[in-house]
Amino acid sequence: MARSLFLAIAALGLLAALGTVLARNLVRAALHLVAFFFCVACLFVMLEAEFLAAVQVLIYIGAVAILLMFGIMLTRNAATAEADLSGGWRVPGVIAGLCVFAALAFGINNAVSPSGSGAWSAIVARPALEPAEGVAWKAERSRAIDDMPRVVGEQFMTRYALAFELAGLLLTAALVGAVALAREEPAPGDSEPATAVEAEAAVGTTP
Amino acid sequence: MANDIPLNWFLYFSAAAFAIGLTGVLLRRNAIAVLMAIEIMLNAANVNLVAFWRYGTPAAGAGPMPGVILALLVVTVAAAEVAVGIGLVLLCYRRWRAVDVDRYDTLSG
Repeated sequence: MARSLFLAIAALGLLAALGTVLARNLVRAALHLVAFFFCVACLFVMLEAEFLAAVQVLIYIGAVAILLMFGIMLTRNAATAEADLSGGWRVPGVIAGLCVFAALAFGINNAVSPSGSGAWSAIVARPALEPAEGVAWKAERSRAIDDMPRVVGEQFMTRYALAFELAGLLLTAALVGAVALAREEPAPGDSEPATAVEAEAAVGTTP
Repeated sequence: MANDIPLNWFLYFSAAAFAIGLTGVLLRRNAIAVLMAIEIMLNAANVNLVAFWRYGTPAAGAGPMPGVILALLVVTVAAAEVAVGIGLVLLCYRRWRAVDVDRYDTLSG
């Protein structure tokens, strides 16, 4: 049951990813991307990380996809609405992707896990979490799965406090940077137009 | 669980998604499409992190959920990256009237 569900979700997710990469229409590509994000959220649920699935839906589908949509809408014009795939580099690009997949598959088949539990391909089931004597991490992880938002908060405030502060700093810097990038209006005469196109546009707009 | 999903299946899914995203970065010329393909790659990495968290046995003193925390931090960084990336793309669009990454060649000598 779980296996067939996984296969269905994974197939949908990969199809959506392919659609994102191959769709000519950018809005359609963005909608495929939303489907891919949702499939990844479903995989997080199958991995018993429901809080992370909720975060995935909220941040990726709710914020990132909408931001990309705004970007698409704001940069749409006749020349770029239909985004062409780059012509001469199509075959080398596909070959590079296939080579990366082959290298990753080779690594997956041949890697040995560092904790001494054998090869990755030998791990066919997740460790059971029934409490056993002498195994403290099982109870810890079982609590983390059952009460994930609380444990995430506790962990961020104690063990990962520095990473938490750095993430806040990064978000603040990104916010300020995005505002500073987006609000810059080139004043006329402030700097010379960079290209002929912009010169044309400036000539066209000034009365 | 007798009929559980093998760890490899998650790894293969994320490897395939990563390869698709990389192909997208190489193939697309639209800057926003390139940003979307980067998001696919980041999501593939996140699936790997959570799968290893759930299937592995933790090292001593690693805490209850290192993989989930790392995935959350990746989500944070990805959100910041998209915000700044969209700002840059809009700025370049205002300057060159194009979102084609092949046209952003002012720095090439």
